[in-house]
Amino acid sequence: MDYGQVVANGLMIGAVYACIAVGFSLVWGVLNVINMMHGSFIMLGGYLTFFAWLHLKVSPIVSVVPVAAILFVVGYLIQYLMINRVVMQPVLTTLTLTFGLDMILYNFMNLWFTATPRRVVLDLGRLDLGGVILPLDRVVAMGLALLLTGLLYTVMRTSRIGRAIVAVRMDRDAAALMGIRVNKVYAITFGIGALMAGACGALVAVVFPITTSVTGLFLGKAFVICVIGGLGSVPGALVGGLALGLIEAFAGFWFSPQTAILAGFVIMLVLLVVRPTGLVGRRGYE
Amino acid sequence: MNVKSIFGLAAALVCGALATGLAQAQTIKIGAPLALTGGLADEGKKQAIAYDMWLKRINAQGGINVGGKKMRVELVQYDYQTQEQRAQQLAEKLIVDDKVDFLLAPFGSGHTKVVAGVAERYGVPVMATSASSDVIFNQGYKFLFGTLAPNSGSVENLIAVVTKGIPSAKRIAILGREDVFPKAMATVMSDAAKKAGLEIISLEYYPVGALDLATPIAKIRSLKPDWIYITGYSKDLVLAKKQMADLNVKAPVVTMITGPVYREFIDSLGPLAEGVTSASWWHHSAQFKGDDPWGSTKAFYDEFVAREKSDPDYVHAAAAAALVALQKAIEKAGTIDKAKVRDALASLDIMTFYGPIKFSANGMNGGRDLPIIQVQGGKPVVLHPESIKQGTLKPVQ
Repeated sequence: MDYGQVVANGLMIGAVYACIAVGFSLVWGVLNVINMMHGSFIMLGGYLTFFAWLHLKVSPIVSVVPVAAILFVVGYLIQYLMINRVVMQPVLTTLTLTFGLDMILYNFMNLWFTATPRRVVLDLGRLDLGGVILPLDRVVAMGLALLLTGLLYTVMRTSRIGRAIVAVRMDRDAAALMGIRVNKVYAITFGIGALMAGACGALVAVVFPITTSVTGLFLGKAFVICVIGGLGSVPGALVGGLALGLIEAFAGFWFSPQTAILAGFVIMLVLLVVRPTGLVGRRGYE
Repeated sequence: MNVKSIFGLAAALVCGALATGLAQAQTIKIGAPLALTGGLADEGKKQAIAYDMWLKRINAQGGINVGGKKMRVELVQYDYQTQEQRAQQLAEKLIVDDKVDFLLAPFGSGHTKVVAGVAERYGVPVMATSASSDVIFNQGYKFLFGTLAPNSGSVENLIAVVTKGIPSAKRIAILGREDVFPKAMATVMSDAAKKAGLEIISLEYYPVGALDLATPIAKIRSLKPDWIYITGYSKDLVLAKKQMADLNVKAPVVTMITGPVYREFIDSLGPLAEGVTSASWWHHSAQFKGDDPWGSTKAFYDEFVAREKSDPDYVHAAAAAALVALQKAIEKAGTIDKAKVRDALASLDIMTFYGPIKFSANGMNGGRDLPIIQVQGGKPVVLHPESIKQGTLKPVQ
């Protein structure tokens, strides 16, 4: 096996990782809420995509949009009705709340969908670039993940609501004085976090079997990526995701698959010590 | 209130207490920590279905015959959420709080070990319904009995079928999940293959929390094996087979333990499942007649299909068989005394719908001729043993 394949594998999974982490990172950075529901949101998006494909024959590439919209509404309502009530409390309070909500959501999904692994059968074939094989469905997922991440970046940089979110992140009180309705911005931010999770679920459904039992794994990845890349910014999640994808691919290739996961955590620990802001994070959000 | 009525009241109370005491004594309590949610929820539910089928049958007969008296059976179930720690706590609670007479172990070798440890401490017989790894049964537990046969038996049969059917398959790449049962299946395969004169060209383990298998599978591709052997649970194996197709990894023989045994593996892979071989502990086409609430494999199969609208797999059968073995041991002992039932289990030798049950000294069901299957035309087809053979081994296209 040559290094081309290792890099390709790392980048393809890395883009999906970035997509997994970006919504989580945004919510954590802006609201200071660790959303324990993030993994379940992704899987909910995955299931919606799967059922749309199974019953309505809608391709996952199309259902990304409605699935993301549904998750936005879910996220908005959860923040508006529940988390906003405790959002000023210490981080442990909101963590406990989202943890509890996650258990409810997770168990409902288990009840409705069962943990049986299912799969969207897309099998688009593969691209052979001189011995480096690129499965087309992964290429599509990577492209969409990068597109979505880029879109979010543009929204955050150029739109009114994007600027409002950034303003609230920088100084909540000053933003409120400037006439920004903080509670609404919070709800929208959480909604966007859920939206990204839902969209990512649609992509995950293309490349992975869908089962409720992996929600915790997604959440774990999101944590590692946030620490590696840096919290609260879109480029941070992108850099962190791609870095983790490559680290795992190379560690798995040089050593063993067991080492791959270990390597991710070791790099995370090292960064926490030498560069707590992450690779591209800014001071103050570590 | 006069003296007479006080006496009357006291007598009534004493009688009442005695009556409830008797009523309690007339039920046999069996405790079952089950993974009804979490990673093993599917497997846990399979056990629950089998338990319920047996429970309905046995109570319809009035219960288990204990020394000439019928005692009804009550099943106390808890969901341990696929968390080892909780399985241990609940096993303890079942014994201490619920005062169960016997225990059923959860799915899989890992969690069975935990529950068996607790049961051993309290001297409660525990039936393992789906543990097949020797590492569980060589702990010296006296109260643990399992209905599955040892892992080594199934890989020996598998190697015999493959070397006979496709003699050119000499170089094996093994990829196993770093987990009790899947790892044991990878290790016994490596040992048995070496003994059979085959060459192990790679033996790697992937961690439990692996989301993606691209790297180990791409590595296998560069080795060009004749035989790819992967162990894990359904989610891992579906992913592995999909990534093999993605990365164009092929071999004449592809074995997945225990993927094709389960309906969901074939359903979610579709055409990609074609040609995958596996080993199982039970297949409904192996017909047995036995002395149990069903009486024959066919009766068990028919009841299951009518109820669940799908075929039973070995998890269902081995779970129901564990309760049958316990029932027969209680009947043989003529008491629900834990130590005596334990001794009756140790010397049990019966024929059931599931096949023969006779526990070896370590508590495991004796070696049997275990079925080898291959997915052909979207269905699991039995390749071995000869008596129930439905087809011959074909190379994977």
